[in-house]
Amino acid sequence: MSDRHNNTFISRRENAWRRNQNTVAFEHSTRLGPVSHTVLVAMMVALLGLIYLTQVTKTSGYGYTIEQLNSQKTELVAKKSELQVESARLKSLQKIQSSEVAAKLTAPASTDYIH
Amino acid sequence: MKLNIDFSRFRKSEILATIMIGFVVIIVLNLFYIQIIRHEYYKKQAYEEQVAKFVLPAKRGQIYARDSGSIVPLVLNQPVYTAYADPQQVGDKTKLISTINRIAGGNVVEGFKDGLDNKQSRYVVLARQLSNAQAEMLKKEDVPGVGMTATDQRVYPEGNLASQLLGYVDNDGTGLYGVEGALNKRLKGVDGKLQAVTDVRRIPLTVSNDDVSIPARDGDNIVLTVDRNIQSYAESALKKGLDNVRASKGSVVVMNPNNGQILAMANYPTYDPSKYNKVTDYGVFQNDIVSAPYEVGSVMKTMTMGVGLDTGAVNTGTTFNNRGYVQVDDRKISNVEEDPVNANATMTDVLHYSLNTGVVFILQQMGGGKVNMAARTKLYDYYHNHFRFGEKTGVEQAGESAGTVIPPTDEQGNNVRYANMAFGQGMDLTMMQTAAAFSSAINGGTYYKPTVVAGTTSNGTNVKGSKVKVLKSGVLSQSTSASLRDLIVKGRQLGALGGKDRAGYVVGGKTGTSQVIDPKTGEYTNANSIGSYLGFGGNQTPQYVIMVQVKDSKAAGYAGTTAAGPIFGDVSNWLLDYMKIAPN
Repeated sequence: MSDRHNNTFISRRENAWRRNQNTVAFEHSTRLGPVSHTVLVAMMVALLGLIYLTQVTKTSGYGYTIEQLNSQKTELVAKKSELQVESARLKSLQKIQSSEVAAKLTAPASTDYIH
Repeated sequence: MKLNIDFSRFRKSEILATIMIGFVVIIVLNLFYIQIIRHEYYKKQAYEEQVAKFVLPAKRGQIYARDSGSIVPLVLNQPVYTAYADPQQVGDKTKLISTINRIAGGNVVEGFKDGLDNKQSRYVVLARQLSNAQAEMLKKEDVPGVGMTATDQRVYPEGNLASQLLGYVDNDGTGLYGVEGALNKRLKGVDGKLQAVTDVRRIPLTVSNDDVSIPARDGDNIVLTVDRNIQSYAESALKKGLDNVRASKGSVVVMNPNNGQILAMANYPTYDPSKYNKVTDYGVFQNDIVSAPYEVGSVMKTMTMGVGLDTGAVNTGTTFNNRGYVQVDDRKISNVEEDPVNANATMTDVLHYSLNTGVVFILQQMGGGKVNMAARTKLYDYYHNHFRFGEKTGVEQAGESAGTVIPPTDEQGNNVRYANMAFGQGMDLTMMQTAAAFSSAINGGTYYKPTVVAGTTSNGTNVKGSKVKVLKSGVLSQSTSASLRDLIVKGRQLGALGGKDRAGYVVGGKTGTSQVIDPKTGEYTNANSIGSYLGFGGNQTPQYVIMVQVKDSKAAGYAGTTAAGPIFGDVSNWLLDYMKIAPN
């Protein structure tokens, strides 16, 4: 209590609370001047600016990641299409009809149906 | 007024400071004007310079056919690449040329070397139609000044199969003819849009709230009702049949009469859709089954018979005096010479011997004993309102024709014309119209919209089916339809063609040999006649309808019997096994 200036306002509630609690609060005697305030504000503004720039750059970076992923996706889709076409060609009727297996097939002599 | 300022009162530094402050004030004011007052204007201008608009191309839908229980691709997409160079950026020209020749091989564009010498140009195509593997190899080489653009190309794993039915896609990505033309909008999809601020390499950056990103909506993958094996068999049977009679042109359509689904549409001659730009006769692109109406001839007698039975003009036991000809107004309508003349010709005889006099007799009965307005009106009602002749069927094929049926109220719709129409002359129909109407006549009287679309697939395996569409119920009554089926079956089985049918099955059909009007005389001539066959097969229930058309047959006899009939029999007997139809 001895550190507190005499003209410091203490509310009744705080006073009452302090009475019942064994709590001590200290107050620094040093106070910031106008220049220090200005410098601090400037620094805070600069810091906020830096944070903003970092975020914007980071977001822009996602553009490159998206572009890379898109390019990768396009390549994979192209490969898939080629494989799909190749698979379809291998399963085409022309291919089947000219296969050795098909050449050995014979038509059934007769067909019976069980009703 | 003269300013009287004594500058000697001020120090030089004060004057300089004042000037500086003045400048600063001007700059600040200018900045205020630019940044605050004109803020929106300059912001918009800057954004427009930084932003780029990209089109996100939609993938064109692929086309599948059925193969028994599964589906198989008929038309796929494959990316192909175009390699280009910017002559201003190319460093080592010799290296570029050798690299392109080595990788692109036959895809190299002729004369590209000369283009590289033109330093004014910024774009010289080096090679086209490069595969993905070639494109990757070229990319790895990392040749300065060389770039690539990708486009999708239609690929046909089954080659020429069903080419007229499918149509093709031109260089602008527009579907023409066949399914590609008819369903172009569905297949094409909707392009997406990307609007974003980009860097100098035009790579989109996610920095602006004004970015627009609308993804592309790919086209539908269409599954056709066409069965690949039936299509293939129909095509080979058609080709074999045409070769046998040295005919130049023909078509076959196979459909399910119980739901309107088309199982095959074969035309000859055909073309390779992947080389559509090499085709010189553009007529070959057309699917004649839907686009080329003609006088179908005596196959129409089946439907006239149906009308006669349904209106009560005749019944299955009716007989008439067949004198071999009948007089209608000033015209004498005759049967062919070989047909018998008998006083008690039956309705079966009408179909078996293809008696023109028989169907004119039916028409007369509809008019109370003679061909008149009442008879014509009844026949037109059935032809147009029941069988839907004169209207497009709506099958998903580009360039469908509605055909021509002249109404009885028209000056041209006189008694003679209607007598001719009773046996398929004097009106033009497409094979599709005829087969669809015939299906409704023998399936119990329901006209199903003919369709080649079974549904869509998202993964190339599962099919989301389309609904069957009924366009007309009660085309004929069920009992009339059953009686008509019996007559058509008897008509076929009494003839030579019926003898080749598989035992235990119900197969019926009717020949038609259409005379063609000689443009010089304006009269019908037997030269270059068109042979047709229209029939069905199955067991208790008809399972398929086949219509065959053969043009320009060189075989002796009537083209309907000698050229089209055997093709019908071939396809019909094969279908009984393929469709696993159990005999009665």
